[in-house]
Amino acid sequence: MSATLTAPALDGAQVKRASRLPRLLSLTSVAVAVGLAVSMLVESNTVMSLLTQAVIYAVFALGLGFLLKQNGMVSFGHALFFGLSGYLVGVGASLTGSVGTVVVLTIAGIGFFAFALALVIVRVPGIAFGMLTLAIGQSFYVLVSKSRGVTGGADGMSIEFPPRVFGLEIGAFQDPASMFLISWLALVALVLALSLLLGTRFGPLTEAIRENEERVRFIGFRTLLPRAVVFAISAMVTAVGGALSALYTGFVSPESLHWSVSGTVLIMVVLGGSRTLWGPAVGAVVYYLFRDYVGEHTTHWMGIFGVSLIAVIVLWPAGIAGGVMHAVERIKRGSGRHA
Amino acid sequence: MTMTYALEAKGLSVRYGGVTANDGVSMRIAPGEIRGLIGPNGAGKSTFIDALSGRRATAAGSVHLAGRDITALGVVERRLLGLSRSFQRTSIFPGMRIGAQMELAASKIPDADADEVMRELGLDRFADRHANEIGYGDQRRLDIALALVGRPSVLLLDEPMAGLSIEESMKLARHLRELARHWGVSVLLVEHDMEVVFGISDSITVLETGKLLAEGAPAEIRAHPKVREAYLGSAA
Amino acid sequence: MIGLQILNGLVYGSLLMIVASGLVLIYGLRRVVNFAHGSLFMLGAYIAYAAAQQFGFWVGLVAAVSVLAAVGFCLDRFGFRLLQDRDPLTVMLVTFGLLLVFEDVVQSVWGKQSYSLAAPESLAGTVELFGSPFPVYRLVIVAAGLAVAAALVGWLRHSRVGLFIRGASTDPVTTAMQGVNTDRLSGGVVAVGAALAGLAGVVSGPFLSLSPTMGSDILIDSFVVVVIGGLGSFAGAFVAAMILGQVQALGAVYLPDLAALLPFALMTAVLVWRPSGLSGSRT
Repeated sequence: MSATLTAPALDGAQVKRASRLPRLLSLTSVAVAVGLAVSMLVESNTVMSLLTQAVIYAVFALGLGFLLKQNGMVSFGHALFFGLSGYLVGVGASLTGSVGTVVVLTIAGIGFFAFALALVIVRVPGIAFGMLTLAIGQSFYVLVSKSRGVTGGADGMSIEFPPRVFGLEIGAFQDPASMFLISWLALVALVLALSLLLGTRFGPLTEAIRENEERVRFIGFRTLLPRAVVFAISAMVTAVGGALSALYTGFVSPESLHWSVSGTVLIMVVLGGSRTLWGPAVGAVVYYLFRDYVGEHTTHWMGIFGVSLIAVIVLWPAGIAGGVMHAVERIKRGSGRHA
Repeated sequence: MTMTYALEAKGLSVRYGGVTANDGVSMRIAPGEIRGLIGPNGAGKSTFIDALSGRRATAAGSVHLAGRDITALGVVERRLLGLSRSFQRTSIFPGMRIGAQMELAASKIPDADADEVMRELGLDRFADRHANEIGYGDQRRLDIALALVGRPSVLLLDEPMAGLSIEESMKLARHLRELARHWGVSVLLVEHDMEVVFGISDSITVLETGKLLAEGAPAEIRAHPKVREAYLGSAA
Repeated sequence: MIGLQILNGLVYGSLLMIVASGLVLIYGLRRVVNFAHGSLFMLGAYIAYAAAQQFGFWVGLVAAVSVLAAVGFCLDRFGFRLLQDRDPLTVMLVTFGLLLVFEDVVQSVWGKQSYSLAAPESLAGTVELFGSPFPVYRLVIVAAGLAVAAALVGWLRHSRVGLFIRGASTDPVTTAMQGVNTDRLSGGVVAVGAALAGLAGVVSGPFLSLSPTMGSDILIDSFVVVVIGGLGSFAGAFVAAMILGQVQALGAVYLPDLAALLPFALMTAVLVWRPSGLSGSRT
């Protein structure tokens, strides 16, 4: 009896799910095309290297934003995963020639490490969680700066890469034009993968946990594991950024683990807007372009940035992505009813 | 031949620090029964619901669901075994679409039907709205709907009528009756609206300062001298 | 030797306590984790330095404390009050933006080099302690810490305002329901909090050196103190400041390689053990 009644609703859900995939795939191909176009049209090497750096940090911001979006938690220690990934890739490359394997193992290892860490720390509420991640991140910063033997201490570590990595010449990773494209494709692939993941039950479940964790338990779900998984995924995405950065520059320094890096990337996340997956990535690109532009005209970059940050946060709480989504919604409503 | 109760509490005690909020409270609820739980403010009604649902640790006593001892189980297990609750302070997922949160609540329980529960509680027309966009009364019903998905065997309701209009309360009361009758859901109802409690309960338990004061059919409770003195006063 | 180290720990602990109590005041009333607090500390030190060049240490002290109190008042009136309905992360990032602005101001006025602020002559000497000379000024820092602690305890225990602050920091909802007007109080309270940061900055001048990074160094340490103590708890922060002072001072001598790590290790251990800090319950 009830089966016939619910049939239309089920169909509706299936239609929604079915229409998601082609839309995602077409958006993905547009994004890939944009990347190709940029890499072909931009001639200036300076602009290209700026964009490359921006896209690498966009990957970092994607990871940090994912944590905020699906878990509501703010980490001030994510630079740990970014920097640590660089160091692991560096140390790995000094031990073996197959850097591809090293990168994959590094990202997986950081995933496990972050998962185990999260099982302990996600119980800490709200702001204290932010401070705890800050403390853990700073501990590693101090450790890495002090341990001269392996990491080169405060001077950082130069990485000797073999001539070929992932079947490409190492030059491809260290030339801004080609590295831009590699990083861009990595970013697009990660956004796609995370969107697909959020299309499963994992999406609404983690969203519900962010909204009201206690109630989630009262509708019959354990919450610790999903929260730890979100944290681990977020750390892994960040680690991809760290690995890209190490490949690009051939250098890692303890500064990449410092809490101010986490703070800066958090700003990118909020600037871009954490309610969508792609918002933080946009925030990272805007941040770099803005810094470059202002930096050229004045030495007061930091102060101007501070003021703009405050203005954006106060006037535009949902960030750039929030503004765009709002505009899109209005256009959709205005142009009639397909839905 | 012993009867298997839907829910049974034996000598349940809850303490916070030095305060004893529930002191050896026992209660038996039959399948399909609506039990009213009343008492003055601070009598320990919400604490009792918290203890039954596993939200608060008990210092002594035990809880049994359909004869099974669930005292050692956590919130999640109790819910999956069919002991569900709503909250005095509306507890929903404000930023999520109502259809999505109901579907999530249904997804862990076999044969649970989110759409049917939404229709019963008049929430189906809001399925695509976010929970923070609907009225307060609708949010209160959403809280109950989240508890009702999957037809729990026991439903603990902590002041479900608070903040509802008279009409809305009456509608909800009728709905609770229906639930108990058709689905055999046992309901433990904490409620300040005496008219509602006496109107729909099969029996009523009275708590005072954490202890059981009286228990019986609505008419007995209404006539009970100690209850009149302690609580009902002129309202009776 | 160890006696002197414990004494040095006491000195740094007192300084941290002054800074952290300002953070706790602001957090208690406004639920804001003030990232700009370290830069207020720095601003205090630099203002005192500038004024002291002309008029001596004491004028510098008064100038810095008054300017910072005014800054704190404006911060609340034109910042926190307007943002009180916003999500805590937003407000936290606004204070992060302020940190950048203040650091930029300090760097453009005073440059990147470090300065030192001379202690007033009357406090410049040394005394013989544990068989070696110890600067009198450091004992003054401890005294200042004690004075601030005593004043705060007196204020919080015995005034109406104090009652409200304690109420608001343990249970803002109930306090608000009792009709306490947070807005009217908080201008003054945040002013006191900022003034304490400034005071600590001035007092630290002759002990640490003035540099554009002094703000973030002390910020991190005072975060550690506030979080270990339990956010919003004065007693917790006092105890945690003293512990951290000792850990820093003794660590520097006995575990020089790991000294910088100890505060973070301590904080991680405390939070894993008690997620709400020393003063918090275990829930």
